Amino acid sequence: MNNEAFNNRDVSDSYFLVDIEDYPTEPWDKFKRVIKRTFRIELFVGLWVVIREMFKFDLHTVSYPEEKMPIGPRYRAIHEMKRLWESDTERCIGCGLCEKICISNCIKIDTRIDENSRKEVSDYSINLGRCIFCGYCAEVCPELAITHGGRYENASDQREHFLMYEDMLTPLDKMTAGTQVEFEGFGAITPHEDERVKKTPLAY
Amino acid sequence: MSKTINFKIDGISVEAQKGETILTVARRNDIYIPTMCYISKTSPCGSCRMCVVEAEGVDGYILSCNTPPTEGINITTNTAGLEKERTNIMKLYDVNHPLECGVCDKSGECDLQNKTLEFGVSQQNFSARDQSRKIQKWGLINYDPALCILCEKCVHVCNEVIGDDAIEVKFGGYSSTIIPKNSETLDCTFCGECIAVCPVGALVSSDFQYTANAWELNRVPAVCVHCSAGCSLEYETKDAGIHGEKSIYRVKNNFEFTNLCGAGRFGYDFNNKATKDESAFNKAVEAIQNAKAIRFSSMITNEEAYMLGELKNKFGMKLFNEDARLYAEFMSAYSSISGKKHHSATLDAVKQADAAIVIGSRISTDNPGVRYALTTASRHNGAKIVYAHPIEDALLQNVVTQLMKYEVGTEEGVMALLAHGILKDADLSDEERSFFNDLDFGYIGAETNIGEEEIDQMMKSFSRSQKCVLIIGSDIMAHKCATNIAKLAALIEKYTTFSLLIVPSQVNTLGVSLINSLDIDEDIIDVVGYNDNGNFVISSLEYANLSIPSLNQQEGTFVSIDNRVLPTNVALDFDGYTLHDLVLACGIEHENTIDCTKELSANSGFKSVEFDSLENFLSVYGDDDRGYILDEVKCNIDGKLDFIDELPEFNGTVIYNVNPVLQFNAYTNKTKQLEKDSSLRGSAQFASAARISDGDSIEITFGSQTIRRKFKLDENLKGTIALNPTYDIAVDSSRYRFEKSKIVRVTNE
Repeated sequence: MNNEAFNNRDVSDSYFLVDIEDYPTEPWDKFKRVIKRTFRIELFVGLWVVIREMFKFDLHTVSYPEEKMPIGPRYRAIHEMKRLWESDTERCIGCGLCEKICISNCIKIDTRIDENSRKEVSDYSINLGRCIFCGYCAEVCPELAITHGGRYENASDQREHFLMYEDMLTPLDKMTAGTQVEFEGFGAITPHEDERVKKTPLAY
Repeated sequence: MSKTINFKIDGISVEAQKGETILTVARRNDIYIPTMCYISKTSPCGSCRMCVVEAEGVDGYILSCNTPPTEGINITTNTAGLEKERTNIMKLYDVNHPLECGVCDKSGECDLQNKTLEFGVSQQNFSARDQSRKIQKWGLINYDPALCILCEKCVHVCNEVIGDDAIEVKFGGYSSTIIPKNSETLDCTFCGECIAVCPVGALVSSDFQYTANAWELNRVPAVCVHCSAGCSLEYETKDAGIHGEKSIYRVKNNFEFTNLCGAGRFGYDFNNKATKDESAFNKAVEAIQNAKAIRFSSMITNEEAYMLGELKNKFGMKLFNEDARLYAEFMSAYSSISGKKHHSATLDAVKQADAAIVIGSRISTDNPGVRYALTTASRHNGAKIVYAHPIEDALLQNVVTQLMKYEVGTEEGVMALLAHGILKDADLSDEERSFFNDLDFGYIGAETNIGEEEIDQMMKSFSRSQKCVLIIGSDIMAHKCATNIAKLAALIEKYTTFSLLIVPSQVNTLGVSLINSLDIDEDIIDVVGYNDNGNFVISSLEYANLSIPSLNQQEGTFVSIDNRVLPTNVALDFDGYTLHDLVLACGIEHENTIDCTKELSANSGFKSVEFDSLENFLSVYGDDDRGYILDEVKCNIDGKLDFIDELPEFNGTVIYNVNPVLQFNAYTNKTKQLEKDSSLRGSAQFASAARISDGDSIEITFGSQTIRRKFKLDENLKGTIALNPTYDIAVDSSRYRFEKSKIVRVTNE
């Protein structure tokens, strides 16, 4: 490739001065400029669009909060704790990776051994006052247990609201009704994933 | 013949000492050979076969972990063939290994996980019918046989290092498991070393299980504060629950090279809680200013001891600490013969010894660190170990080669007999020789109950020994002839190859004895107690007038049994006042407590080193570089041996003040996991002599104390001495540990 055009740094020939009027200094001149700019035709062009739409009664905005826009599946709003489809039990295994990866240190998890010698999540909280909704927790979760939902209206008069595990966990009635919405973001199960599972020697 | 062997690993010229294996040489030269079952502190068991290497001119693979090199051989550690061999081994390890990494306690620090990823085992071409394997609950330890990979590390550590010999492999091909040896359930000292060495999550602490993961915990390097061995450990802390109070979740050690006993591993929750109570603080300041003396325990850091010394100088008060004072007295008597301030042996020296004498201590409970060192010496060097004590110790029975049972109170005579035997051919001065010539060995032999043939047998078994250690326990410190015993011990050290280890009774007895000039305890009023009794008590235990932080909430240094100044760090926060605040209020200025570290006196061997420049970790080769070793200090040699008069006699019901396994002091008594059995334990013979039986409530009177206990018959004990725990009562440490006592049975109301 020929680099001649780039190597020539002397661009003085192609410079030209823009024709700019001098700024007015006299009060009279300033007044004249204001009048000139105000009653130019552009103003009426803009006003015409507004007036036309006003009388068409065809609104292009959403009348929030009565109406809401659909949001993308990868939108990162309030976290949700998912249940297993096959047993309705919680997916979270208490590995604590979300707590570890959380860059704003807002996740706290406590686990213990339950009466069946299984690991049980005894306490879980996300401090939404600190959360920056980066989505790392959902990304690191090995069980697709924590995901981001679409609940973005998290205004409250109490900081402590929406923090508890129970609030985030899919309610059982929703689960039995089969309406738990799967996360379609990073790490989500691809459709028909089960057909691609390979057998391990144990299954033979 | 030269002692070094020159050979090549992967083309790099290396040098091996005689007796070293290819693996140890490779590791020392930073050449990587993967292993699964190898652990540096035990002898190689060769069960994993991961460490295979190729040697030029040798057919097949050889195990680098147990093969010593020959001169000029060429070793290759990594070829395609070896890689395949190792990958296949990893595949076999992974057969039916439960895929529960997400919940497993070991996940994140699991050897199997690491090596599976390292060898890229992504699919399985071996299979076996899985079996039902039930989780075993062994008290503080849970064992999941499904996760076990049968590397046998736990068995080897338990047998070769700890000496409990409590577990073994039940061989049965694919159904092999680890089982308790000769017992239904695990019956051991619960040191938890098997948990530490387990490369997978098969052996776990039952209390810790499923409460946290490796990646959630913060590690704080510290020193164990329960005995004077100064074991290195790491407190692992995390915010407990969602309300965020930091607490210690578990204790870990560098198991590759060091050991921990159960008290260190499971007894970590002795921290103190307090808030700033200003009125109590003002009262404490006033109490100190008006005090005639401060009585304190040795469960403090060097810095605290130094600040107490400053208070002594400022207010002209006395300092009472009988435990450290007696130790200091013993050591000064020792110095007056040996000319040195510090004893010569370390725990490492004990580990490498081929002969050892233990006298005046039930060492397995007084200082487990010494016990493990003795076990290591016995198993690895075949060391001859003579245990001289009035009571047999079942925990040491596999280690001790000769038991020398002497009468209670006759330690001076025993020491004279030992010294006489050991120094028979030594080049003693005329004065020293005449001391021995003047002794009436017939009388001493009769009173101590040690025959001449026992000494001869000992000398015979020691005849080939090169590295001998004499270990003196804390029975001796409070003996009324302690100084003479110290001089005899110094004499043995001076004229023979014996090195000497004098076991301090508490974590910082040695440090306090070097830092403070202590006064003889008097029963006076206006005594401020610092972690001890007094009219005003400043303590990290319960019932304190002012609460101060426990030793896991402080930074500072200790002096361990190895004469090593060890730094420890803050594991948990403390919100209340500290000694530093008190000292400041009394007008002595330090910016921080740890500023005292460099002020510690060079006359005692301390170096002028800032606390922050002290290291607190073991190197990758296992060298203990923590803190620094005290400088040797020369002392005047002006001691003279005292003639041995009459040896005391102890008749009737004698009790011995000694703690049960895993209990040491009021701090271990505070912990959640450690067993708290405070019953008086005695043999059937003792029971019939005291006219009590198993399970009786009894009242024991000794000295000026009367305590109530339950009596428990112990089959492992013999003779007429019962064991009295001291961790839950305040014991006068100036008294000899054997006590004539009056025991009365009390009926429960």
